[in-house]
Amino acid sequence: MDIDGEDVSRRIHVKFVTKLEPPFKAPVSSIAIPSDVTRLGLSSIVNELLKHANPEWESEPFDFLIDGELIRMSLEEFLRAKGISAERTLEIEYIRAVTPRKEEEPSLHDDWVSAVNGSSSRFILTGCYDSLGRVWSSAGSCSHILEGHAGAISSVALVNSNDARSVTVATASKDRTLRLFKLDPAESVDSSTRVRAYKILRGHKASVQSVSAQKSGNMVCSSSWDCTINLWDTNESTSEGESVTVKKRKGNNKAEESQSEGEAVTTFVGHTQCVSSVVWPEHDVIYSSSWDHSVRRWDVETGKDSLNLFCGKALNTVDVGGEGSALVAAAGSDPILRVWDPRKPGTSAPVFQFSSHTSWISAIKWHKSSWFHLLSASYDGKIMLWDLRTAWPLSVIDTHTDKVLSADWWKGDSVVSGGADSNLRISSGIAIS
Amino acid sequence: MPKKSKGANKDDKMRENKSKSVSVKSQKHKPAEKELKPVEEKEVISLKEEELLQESGTDSDYDADSLSGSLNSDDFDSDIFDSEDDDSQRETKDGESSEDRSVGVGHEGSEDNEDDDESEQIDSDNGEEDGSDEGSEQGEAVEESDSSEDEVAPRNTVGDVPLVWYKDEKHIGYDITGKKITKKEKRDKLDSFLATMDDSKNWRKIYDDYNDEEVELTKEESKIIRRMLKGEAPHADFDPYAPYVDWFKWDDAIHPLSSAPEPKRRFIPSKWEAKMVVKYVRAIRKGWIKFDKPEEEPNVYLLWGDDSASDQKNKHLTYIPPPKLKLPGHDESYNPSLEYIPTEEEKASYELMYEEDRPKFIPKRFTSLRSIPAYENALRESFERCLDLYLCPRVRKKRINIDPESLKPKLPSRKDLRPYPNSCYLEYKGHTGPVTSISTDSSGQWIASGSTDGSVRIWEVETGRCLKIWQFVEAIKCVSWNPLSSLPIIAAAMGRDLVILNTELGSDEEQEIIKERLHLGNLPESDASVAAIVSWLPDELYGGIKIRHFKNVSYIHWNRKGDYISTVMASGETRGVVTHQLSKKLTRRLKFKIRGLPVCTLFHPSRSYFFIATRKDVRVFNLLETDEPIKKLETGLKEISSMAIHPSGDHLIVGSKEGKLCWFDTDLSSKPYKTLKNHPKDITNVAFHRSYPLFASCSEDSTAYVFHGMVYNDLNQNPLIVPLEILRGHSNGGVLDCKFHPRQPWLFTAGADSIIKLYCH
Repeated sequence: MDIDGEDVSRRIHVKFVTKLEPPFKAPVSSIAIPSDVTRLGLSSIVNELLKHANPEWESEPFDFLIDGELIRMSLEEFLRAKGISAERTLEIEYIRAVTPRKEEEPSLHDDWVSAVNGSSSRFILTGCYDSLGRVWSSAGSCSHILEGHAGAISSVALVNSNDARSVTVATASKDRTLRLFKLDPAESVDSSTRVRAYKILRGHKASVQSVSAQKSGNMVCSSSWDCTINLWDTNESTSEGESVTVKKRKGNNKAEESQSEGEAVTTFVGHTQCVSSVVWPEHDVIYSSSWDHSVRRWDVETGKDSLNLFCGKALNTVDVGGEGSALVAAAGSDPILRVWDPRKPGTSAPVFQFSSHTSWISAIKWHKSSWFHLLSASYDGKIMLWDLRTAWPLSVIDTHTDKVLSADWWKGDSVVSGGADSNLRISSGIAIS
Repeated sequence: MPKKSKGANKDDKMRENKSKSVSVKSQKHKPAEKELKPVEEKEVISLKEEELLQESGTDSDYDADSLSGSLNSDDFDSDIFDSEDDDSQRETKDGESSEDRSVGVGHEGSEDNEDDDESEQIDSDNGEEDGSDEGSEQGEAVEESDSSEDEVAPRNTVGDVPLVWYKDEKHIGYDITGKKITKKEKRDKLDSFLATMDDSKNWRKIYDDYNDEEVELTKEESKIIRRMLKGEAPHADFDPYAPYVDWFKWDDAIHPLSSAPEPKRRFIPSKWEAKMVVKYVRAIRKGWIKFDKPEEEPNVYLLWGDDSASDQKNKHLTYIPPPKLKLPGHDESYNPSLEYIPTEEEKASYELMYEEDRPKFIPKRFTSLRSIPAYENALRESFERCLDLYLCPRVRKKRINIDPESLKPKLPSRKDLRPYPNSCYLEYKGHTGPVTSISTDSSGQWIASGSTDGSVRIWEVETGRCLKIWQFVEAIKCVSWNPLSSLPIIAAAMGRDLVILNTELGSDEEQEIIKERLHLGNLPESDASVAAIVSWLPDELYGGIKIRHFKNVSYIHWNRKGDYISTVMASGETRGVVTHQLSKKLTRRLKFKIRGLPVCTLFHPSRSYFFIATRKDVRVFNLLETDEPIKKLETGLKEISSMAIHPSGDHLIVGSKEGKLCWFDTDLSSKPYKTLKNHPKDITNVAFHRSYPLFASCSEDSTAYVFHGMVYNDLNQNPLIVPLEILRGHSNGGVLDCKFHPRQPWLFTAGADSIIKLYCH
């Protein structure tokens, strides 16, 4: 058998190691495997090994790392591409594959779901084109409805969840206002409670596109089509707010709460076109992306932009995370996800570019705890999970039937997303170590 | 030794010159001219003569050659000894020598010279001996009185020229004073014969034709001649058998001829030579001296050009070879393969064919060359061939050899002209009929569209979400978003109506202004002519304004400030264009007359100009002043379909129904600066980008073209137009409208497939 002989000559000695906990730990011993196995083959080998040690073992997809790089081709090709010798015993680290293992029931909205937020592990916030915000405690169960807006909601943000009984939520809408809601997530789940805003933030001259809250919860920032970024106070009673509290909604008996109106504390002017997205990752740093093709970093104290990354495409979304929470990922009117490292001196070129999408990218989120993982949602209806260590997506979630308008991580192991098919979809069981 | 050699030389010469000595002698006896010679000349010569005689000795009489040779050597001497009368002597000597030669020697000049050289050498080397010679020979020289005559210049001074030259002249030459020497009268033959008969001495006479005279030879001379004829030495006194005197001392000398020690310079390398070598080396290094010098072409040329080549070529027809006949193939072989031979059916089918279609030659098979009959068509074919060649004149076609690449204009690369729209990422779906018109709002957040399904829709650009729908009965012809960002209203044309719709997008204050604008209070009085055309009505359906026209509205356009809107009624003829002022709710007819059917209108972006495109041309009017158009742009198109103006206002693009697009530089000329023919079908619309140097055209062939159209501030620089991209994607039915995003380099296209597409960079 010629082929067999050839196979024998192309065997590679490997040793599977892992940092995973015991049920996933395979016996560490060098074995010889054919060199043309791919990720699937490696995964089945590891599963076999585990089954050997533990008869009740259920198969589990794995990903494999050699020298910190994920394998996405056959082992032989990988070794050749990286110039690694096949002579010595190869140490392959395996991790659980980052891919959703469970798809939860979609939660149907009345209209397109334009905003999703999964910052709190207890609930999911969504914003919808029917001008209502919703709070979902789990898939299919809506606990609160945030009402009051006159236009489609474009963004939602969790402002403050320090208090277990009371949570502050901000929504931004195309009716040029932002609203702040207070709600108790532990309330009865069986019927959804309607919540009115305790504070209306007026000041933008055009649609508000994005809202983001400071870590402390005292401030929120918002970006708008009028090319500005506004900072707002979230306090219930402001000095000038008292005069406005006279304005009460009397039509509705139920909602007798007072609604105060707030004005912008500061306005950051600098973008020349619609500011599509803002994030507030640190105490005094705000990142914004705009249709004027730039990503800017604003210093909250001075109101000056300290960084200006130029990309050449209109940007829809920006997020900061990764290694040291310093990498800036942004994308927009083309299918390429770009990651910049502002710490590198003299950088204007992105350090990573991922281009597996086929349409505009509407959302990017870094994983909260991992340095390497991020997700991107695109108008092509796909959500892709990325690892900085490989140029191919780790997994593609294409449960949506139309454009995905927003997506976020939830609870560290799930992806929540909303799109033009009016559904909130939750893909859970993503193992990110 | 030297003496001997000299003598031997002279002997040789003598023998050679035997025949000539006759003429030599004739010179010596010139009885007539002795008296004629000028006195002063004689004096000069006399000095010379003595020296000569001394040198040449006895031989001098006989040998003119040696005489002249020694004369030269004498010259050498005289140069040294008496330089005073050098000049005069030279004159005379030169004269003599030339005469001598002219008379006797002529062709032997070259030999003479050699001899001269020899004798010179000898003379200089052995000066002493010469001296002794001279001494011994002096006596003889004195006795020879007639030898002086030799030195006398001949009468004729013409020199050694062929006498034929003077054959037809009356004179034979010139004497020393320059006067003509006339020829003696020729006696006829009888006279001369009688004269010779009479004269007993006639046999001694010779005719000297150089001087044109008869010379009588003396007795001595005739003796010499006789002697020479016998082969003896000419002179009677010459003893050929004289005892040999051995002048050379044969005994060995003790010393070499010179006992001087070898000088030092013989042993050291020459300094000057070294210097020269260095000089040459340097010159070679610096390239002053070049080896292998290319041969210089002779710097001569034909003054009147190479007339032989050009003229003669054009004068006659150049031969053009006849086209070659087709070579015979396998089927014309005498013994072709079987497959070439037609079967009986095929032959029968040939019979049914028209004569033109029938094959000219039917292959046949012969077993041997011997059995081949004569070719029956040979005569006819050769006749036809000749007829062809005669009847079809052959012409040499001149083919211009141009690289087609070089004809292409130099355009910058597409890559350098980024960004421009190239790929479609977003689609706006919802209409149920072809989308006829689209319009973007000034911020670029919204886009309005009108369709034949009667709906006007507003879409969110970012997501493709349809925000608002107004449903009407009639098909929407045209929608236009008010260019003011603070006045978010839309004008839509359908049927005979122009409807102004409130989008309810602005802030509360803006909404109040809009409400006020759209509220029809008491309308101002309008004159009867306008009232007949237009009436302002409230729109019950959506609370806007409805302006009803008397004909179907085909095109609307807002002015830059968003207050005036112009409407075009294609069938309205002279009343086809009106403008409405929204703030005053007033309609105006144009003051000026429109010739032809109006197609579309435009307001100049910054000045009070108004462009009206009719089917054939575009006229520019000033709204404030004259009635006549200030400019007429001749498009040369069959039918204009659309028009767009550059944001600067100076450039205009016009699309036509034959698929041509014209770019006008209104400052430059009334003719198109460029005409682009790209679309195979009608252009439906054209658009300029507000800030990027882009323009686009869309067509019924379901494509949209994007061009780079850079307008420079420098008036001397023409706009740069580069085709960038063909945008496909719409299904059949064509693209009905295209508009650029106001801020991004994106293009919206509205298709007949009821989809709006957004092309991004």
